[in-house]
Amino acid sequence: MLGPASKLALFRPTICLVSHMSVYPKNYIDPIFKKDQQEALKTSGEHLKIAHIPIKAARNNDTVSVFHDDVISKFTNYIMRKGDKLLARDLLDKSFEQIKRVQLEKYNTAKTEEEKAKIQTNPKEILHQAIENSRPLLQLTPIKRGGVTYQVPVPITINRSNFMAMKWIIEAANEKERTIHFPQKLAWELLDAASNQGRVVKRKQDLHKQCEANRAYAHYRWS
Amino acid sequence: MTSLLNGVRRTNSLIPLLKQMKITFSTETVQAAPLAVNTQKVSKAMKAYLERAQEHDNFMKAQTIEFQIGKRHLANIMGADPENFTQEDIDEAIEYLFPSGLFDKKARPMMKAPEEIFPSRKAAEFDETGRPFHSMFYTGKPNFFQLLHNIVAEIRKAQYIEDKMIQRGRLPAETDRLDMTGFAWLSKTDLEKILVETISDLEYNNFLNTMNRLAAQPAAFKCREFALQYAKPLIDQSKISEIPKPQFDENGKQFITTYECLRKTARADVTIRFPGTGKVTINKDHDITYFKHVQSREQVLFPMIFINQLGKFDVEANVEGGGVSGQAGAIRWGIAMGLRSFVDSDVIEDMRVAGLLTRDYRRRERKKPGQEGARRKYTWKKR
Repeated sequence: MLGPASKLALFRPTICLVSHMSVYPKNYIDPIFKKDQQEALKTSGEHLKIAHIPIKAARNNDTVSVFHDDVISKFTNYIMRKGDKLLARDLLDKSFEQIKRVQLEKYNTAKTEEEKAKIQTNPKEILHQAIENSRPLLQLTPIKRGGVTYQVPVPITINRSNFMAMKWIIEAANEKERTIHFPQKLAWELLDAASNQGRVVKRKQDLHKQCEANRAYAHYRWS
Repeated sequence: MTSLLNGVRRTNSLIPLLKQMKITFSTETVQAAPLAVNTQKVSKAMKAYLERAQEHDNFMKAQTIEFQIGKRHLANIMGADPENFTQEDIDEAIEYLFPSGLFDKKARPMMKAPEEIFPSRKAAEFDETGRPFHSMFYTGKPNFFQLLHNIVAEIRKAQYIEDKMIQRGRLPAETDRLDMTGFAWLSKTDLEKILVETISDLEYNNFLNTMNRLAAQPAAFKCREFALQYAKPLIDQSKISEIPKPQFDENGKQFITTYECLRKTARADVTIRFPGTGKVTINKDHDITYFKHVQSREQVLFPMIFINQLGKFDVEANVEGGGVSGQAGAIRWGIAMGLRSFVDSDVIEDMRVAGLLTRDYRRRERKKPGQEGARRKYTWKKR
């Protein structure tokens, strides 16, 4: 979903208009450390080409650990303020703990096996589901035509919609009473969004409704 | 030279001179050009060129003599045989006599044959009447544009071959492509040296684009020889550094110590032992909980998880300086470098592609004056 695509600029010429700020020379390519991506390289025979290309060092949040999840690391970074990742990660972990508790309680109070099977107790899966449910398909962009600014619905990329979903969830969790802590509120928001209800999903639906209402302006995108 | 040209015999005297300079045109050219026959004049351009050529020739001769004498002197200083004093000996002697700490190798003192020091020049591009040989002379860069034309001719050739194949009812296979794996097109400076012309960035880009067009042809296998003239082989990245052999400690375990593992301002020495139990010792009396941050612990274990050997090596690291992630990064690099001695070459290549064997030279970027930080500008208000 958010995996970095391996870009191979082998013989691609570039015209540089701004100075090159990276410490790595331009011929260096991004590391490919995930097992499945490396396998894909070998099956496509691209690893032979890479053998002659120097590679950038893997960054310090890259890992092949089974506990690593791209979405979660992205979400942590969005929660993070002023580079305090330790705190951001801590908050998210606490929130996962809350989710686990709530879901386990539901699981244990469930009467039948069928009901139990329906309950998702994995907080990671709940986060994924919550993001999936709060992803918008369109957004409104102000476009000026003839002196009047129209709110024009435009389709957005997957990356952008993921970002908006995560941003909305975090914003919703930040709007809380002083007595309630962020992890608690985030857990509630995630659980709500995962079951397709709550403020974030409503915000998405509102946006879609707005887009639907402004569909008459859609042609301003290209005319 | 000027005295020669001032005389009446100038045309006659030119011919042996030109022959001596190995310029590839004959006296017939002169006779064929009616203007030259009628006026018996040498164009101003040719005159100026001949002057310049003669000057350059004399200069090079003087330089060569100077170089030869200098070489003999140097040999005598070094107590070597002046007759058999090679370029390698010269370089060694210069390095010994004039030690230099300058970073750029080009800036250090050197003594080389004048042909290497002074750039080669173009031979005359026009005949005695001033008529250029090359149809693209007035582009100013005839060699470059001729090269582009040659590449296009090769592309046409490849397309012709492809057409023939299709006519015979066979589609070009993957093997009919031009395989440039392990080669890169010549850099701008190298190309300029071959062309004896300076080219702009845009023109170099055009060269690359045209070459890539050639390489993309489905049946360009016959153009390989041509293409390789303008490509240079790349070094196999995995064979750049040597891999040390593991040593044996008193318990009969294999071990490897990597010194000077650097990342940001952290510095570490990392020893890995095999066979082990996966024990990680940091600064003698800490285990992996030395790092409070889970991300840093993940970093330390990254190389071992990557090669699926978690719990088979013991790691001992001494680390100082820097912050948390810097220290973890330094240890990660040390472990990865040490593990190379225990795994086969395929796995080493995988580790390289994963970016584990690259030294991370990134540092904190400095704050700039007039800016809020490294890149961020102060808020700007018009009034």
